[in-house]
Amino acid sequence: MAQVKLNNVVKNYGNVKVVHGADLLIDDSEFIVLVGPSGCGKSTILRMIAGLETISGGEIVIGDQVVNRVSPKDRNVAMVFQNYALYPHMTVRENMAFGLKMAKEPRDIIEKKVNQAAATLELGPYLDRKPAALSGGQRQRVAMGRAIVRQPDVFLFDEPLSNLDAQLRTQMRMELKKLHLQFKTTTIYVTHDQIEAMTLADRIVILKDGYIQQVGSPIEVFERPANVFVAQFIGNPPMNIIKGKCTRVNGAMTLVAGDLSLQLPEDKYQDIAEGKSVLIGIRPDGIKVRDVEHRIREEWRKEATVNVAEILGGQSLLELNISNNRFIAEVEGRMKLHPGDKVTVGFELDRVVLFDPETTEAIA
Amino acid sequence: MREVSRDRIKAFLTLLPSIVLIGIFVYGFIGNTIWISLTDWGGVAALAEHPVKHFIGIQNYVDLFTGFLEGRFRQDMVNAVFYSVSLLAGAVGLGMFIAILLDRKPKGEDFLRTVFLYPMSLSFIVSGTIWRWMLAPQGGVNILPTYAGFKPLTFKWLSAKTTVLAFNWQNLLQIGLYLVAVITIIIGFIVYRNSRSKSVKWLAIGALSGLTAWIGGDMLPKALILEEIHGFNLATLGIIMATIWQYSGYTMALYLAGFNGISQDLHDAAMLDGASTSAYYTHIAIPMLKPITISAVIILSHISLKMFDLIFSMTGPDNAETGHPALNMYLTTFRANEFARGASIAIVLFLLAATFIIPYLITQYKQRRTR
Ligand SMILES: Nc1ncnc2c1ncn2[C@@H]1O[C@H](COP(=O)(O)OP(=O)(O)OP(=O)(O)O)[C@@H](O)[C@H]1O
Ligand SMILES: [Mg+2]
Repeated sequence: MAQVKLNNVVKNYGNVKVVHGADLLIDDSEFIVLVGPSGCGKSTILRMIAGLETISGGEIVIGDQVVNRVSPKDRNVAMVFQNYALYPHMTVRENMAFGLKMAKEPRDIIEKKVNQAAATLELGPYLDRKPAALSGGQRQRVAMGRAIVRQPDVFLFDEPLSNLDAQLRTQMRMELKKLHLQFKTTTIYVTHDQIEAMTLADRIVILKDGYIQQVGSPIEVFERPANVFVAQFIGNPPMNIIKGKCTRVNGAMTLVAGDLSLQLPEDKYQDIAEGKSVLIGIRPDGIKVRDVEHRIREEWRKEATVNVAEILGGQSLLELNISNNRFIAEVEGRMKLHPGDKVTVGFELDRVVLFDPETTEAIA
Repeated sequence: MREVSRDRIKAFLTLLPSIVLIGIFVYGFIGNTIWISLTDWGGVAALAEHPVKHFIGIQNYVDLFTGFLEGRFRQDMVNAVFYSVSLLAGAVGLGMFIAILLDRKPKGEDFLRTVFLYPMSLSFIVSGTIWRWMLAPQGGVNILPTYAGFKPLTFKWLSAKTTVLAFNWQNLLQIGLYLVAVITIIIGFIVYRNSRSKSVKWLAIGALSGLTAWIGGDMLPKALILEEIHGFNLATLGIIMATIWQYSGYTMALYLAGFNGISQDLHDAAMLDGASTSAYYTHIAIPMLKPITISAVIILSHISLKMFDLIFSMTGPDNAETGHPALNMYLTTFRANEFARGASIAIVLFLLAATFIIPYLITQYKQRRTR
């Protein structure tokens, strides 16, 4: 159990800077998920925490120790790799015992700990097999077993589930969650998968080009993205972003985009300069089509024309033309709509987010 | 279906010439050599147009191992065994060591790799000649210490008469039993971790043969009438050095390729598991390269059993201290015209090499089938 602190951590490869002063405080037993596009530096940060990459600047603190010059084995962290990195010539038992053996633990204790971990992960029947004789999901569990037997202060996961099929991934995700609830070990988890990020994280860290864009709880980064990048990176389909202006209409602060005008809620964005250009961000699930009369204030209801409708099973995706603006809406139920159909939609404008068009940062 | 069988016929026809040629020139001649080794072809009229050959069974082999006159062959066999074991230990050990150093990615790794691999590309005749000069009694290696102000060495690398680890060939059976005992007991301890019952069996065999050898002592049948001392001739050290020099680059290349094939993640995982660099090699990298080690052992052991040209160019064929069965075979067959005796030496070497290669081929074949 330990806190992990990144103070202005920098990583250079020669002249190429790939992490630019990352600051992050990870609480004891917190589950942190790092997300970002490929090449943004997620693995690099993880490997610096593990001690597998040198730190070019700043410092990393685990517990109360600055670990910049501490070798990986003395950091008491365990890492699970994307391709599992099991020792192919050792049995499952030997794989899990290796770390303890290196730590010169007595044999009976090793035996006990390995059996315990195997029981937790339901690996008992496979203990004497080699990794080659295991399925992907079983290998994944062995990799986790190898991490938990050592009772590390910090778990590091680098896209651990990305080699599994969708169904197994869901199952393993839940097991991971359970493991974390059981052991409460500080965890730093890298993924590409939005759902993993949203379901597992206490807080999500969004990275781009080696810069931390936002740190926040899943709901925070979803509802109050710090900038346009986060707004579009988190959530699928991404947030609708359209160009508009703020103006006062009949005394009420109103967003105008082409022929569309939407009155801002009374408690939001009231002190914005009149006439200011903004980017208007509305989540696809913030556009309602069903029961609009009951759920949405009258000023926020608009007429829309359907361009395309896709049924995804539980919900439907609609591409709508609303007063000459194009929106994607994600609506409950199977909407049997055809191109050209007219519907009344309601905007959940209390969830709207405005961004500055120059800096693309969210407006407070 | 018809297409398939057609393809098969085509494949068969393509292979046929080589099957026939190999059949005649490899397997046919092996058979012929075995046949000759069971005759008495040799002596004065061996080169007659129609030499007289009588079938004499395994008499040639019996003579080789217990005959009064074949002491030279027995020393050559002993030399070959020590030579093979030293070459294996030296070339595998040194090659592995250099590979580990290069795997640490020092500056100039590419260059060093070429340097170490280079001796492989020389022919044995060339490297034999170089080493003969280097090991000359008053030159080369022996005068190296003088550069540091010491006295020159006086060791006769290729003609020293000293013998260590000497044993009496009469006690061959006893020594064999002791060897069996040592080997089975070692195996017993190795398999102890995996299966206790198997381990007990091995240990029992070891104890039994050890006891037989010890208690049996003088009562065990003797291989010879007279005492005959053989051992490790120090004169072979020079040849061993030269061969290790020539082959450690090769094993280095094998291991280095193997090390490079181990994923970075595996190395990282071991580091996080608390392995030191040496633990990484002893517990992870080297055990993972077991197939490479086995190949190296097989290749080197049959090379060392067949070794001819290097020894020939270093000491000539007649240097008794550095004799080798392959040279002996050459002398017996083509100098003494004892064709049958020479054939039996050839077959002994062939069987020795086969004991290394056949188990290897069988395991390879099994592995491929289970895959
Ligand atoms: N050894 C290296 N030398 C130079 N540049 C490197 C090296 N290793 C990584 N990089 C660069 O650092 C950046 C970050 O790499 P990193 O592996 O952390 O990305 P990532 O976020 O994990 O991506 P992915 O999601 O694809 O795994 C990349 O642009 C990569 O090209
Ligand atoms: Mg990565």
